[in-house]
Amino acid sequence: MNPDRRIASFWLSAVCFLVFLTSFTAHAQATAGVSGKVTGPSGKAIASAQVAIKNLATLESTNTRTDSAGVYSESNLMPGDYQITVSAEGFDSESASVSLVAGAAQAKNFTLTPTLTLAQLGISPQQAEGSPQEQARLNKRSHMLQIHQRLGLITTIPLIATVVTGAFSGGKPAVTSSTTRDLHAALGATTAGLYFATAYYAIFAPKIPGTKAEGPIRFHKALAWIHGPGMILTPILGAMAFSQRASGERVHGIAKLHGQVAIITAAAYGLAILSVTLHSGPGSHAAHAFLNLFRHKRSISVHAAFDGVPAQTGVR
Amino acid sequence: MKRIAAVLLFLALPMFARADTQWILKSSTLTYHVTHPLHEVEGVSHAARGEGKCHAGECDFLVAVTVKSFNSGDSNRDLHMLQVTKGAEFPIITVRFHLPQSALSEKTIHCDLRIHFAGQVVTYKQVGFQQTIQGNEHQITGTIPATVSDFKINPPKLLMVPIHNQIPVDVDMTWQEE
Repeated sequence: MNPDRRIASFWLSAVCFLVFLTSFTAHAQATAGVSGKVTGPSGKAIASAQVAIKNLATLESTNTRTDSAGVYSESNLMPGDYQITVSAEGFDSESASVSLVAGAAQAKNFTLTPTLTLAQLGISPQQAEGSPQEQARLNKRSHMLQIHQRLGLITTIPLIATVVTGAFSGGKPAVTSSTTRDLHAALGATTAGLYFATAYYAIFAPKIPGTKAEGPIRFHKALAWIHGPGMILTPILGAMAFSQRASGERVHGIAKLHGQVAIITAAAYGLAILSVTLHSGPGSHAAHAFLNLFRHKRSISVHAAFDGVPAQTGVR
Repeated sequence: MKRIAAVLLFLALPMFARADTQWILKSSTLTYHVTHPLHEVEGVSHAARGEGKCHAGECDFLVAVTVKSFNSGDSNRDLHMLQVTKGAEFPIITVRFHLPQSALSEKTIHCDLRIHFAGQVVTYKQVGFQQTIQGNEHQITGTIPATVSDFKINPPKLLMVPIHNQIPVDVDMTWQEE
């Protein structure tokens, strides 16, 4: 290529590039922008606040939202007069007028006033703030008590079977068979095993500080003082009776109490289940009479509910 | 003379505009109802707090109550209720509603209730309430048709049978104008 033509070609490219570059800046200088931060009265940023930017000449609106830092920004707006309206849930809306100039970015911040707040009701942020740790504790408690409930119901099956076979396991050696006694003993052992597994989940379920037992649960817990020791004593007496029978002897001494202790234990266990199952409907009147002995009178106070916060502010 | 009177009346018009008023919740009884095949349960709270503001003919109200203030007479059941409603994580129930100031003199009022509970926000539209006015006290009674599913609560079970979905809340509130 001719050197002269090469030089001319170079300068032509440079001029074209400059023209191309200038066209962008010219466009940028023809538009305007606005940005700002939206906060509450304490200066805390309000995220996801709606920002409506309305051109007062054309009545066209551009909508945007604040980000997690409470900042909004809009560029590529035509220069002119605008009205910016900011709204967020729980706050009164705020509006302001701005004049946007070409090639410049206007800053406009907003401070929103809460419409009605919990603080005005005398509820502190600490009270309104929840505790995930406390929730996790409650969740664990409920989970363990659910297992306790299910195991408790499952335990009734071998328990009933043990009581039924028990009717055919005592008596004169010539009348009852060793097979029945073996079955009765096996069912009894199964019952005891399930019973103590049931008790484990109740005893070791997390306790919630500050709560007082009230209602049928008190009766349910009180009955544990009957069927708990009974479920320890019954297998011991049963083992003594089994040994005496295996030796060809009649059941005698303290071992004779095995049946009575077993019946009392089973009855207390059944009542314990009924106490937390039936609260209304037919057949629960006897349970209600017992339960009324343990019910507390309800007394709710605002102070108790809000953990000792003084009476509601604003009451005159 | 008539012109002067007309001018005076025009200047006095703002005086007849609706004045800003404030309302305070004087007393309340909130009762939730839970139904199970073996149980009918009610939990009661008298611990709600509330405030209302009327401005330019429009009124906004806020009522707040703690989840653990509800008492059903059975502490074990109340703790379970606290757990399933995530009451430790979201301890406060808030109800916001808006009314035109003119509605405060009507026997029956309808409003949209925006309820924050169990970490959820649910709006119940046009819930009806009865209003009885005695002096500057307004007694409001009605029922909020809440359901377990609305608040994404895992329904508690007894003997592996869940409670019914409907958990209506009876409201009895007395508001006093300040």
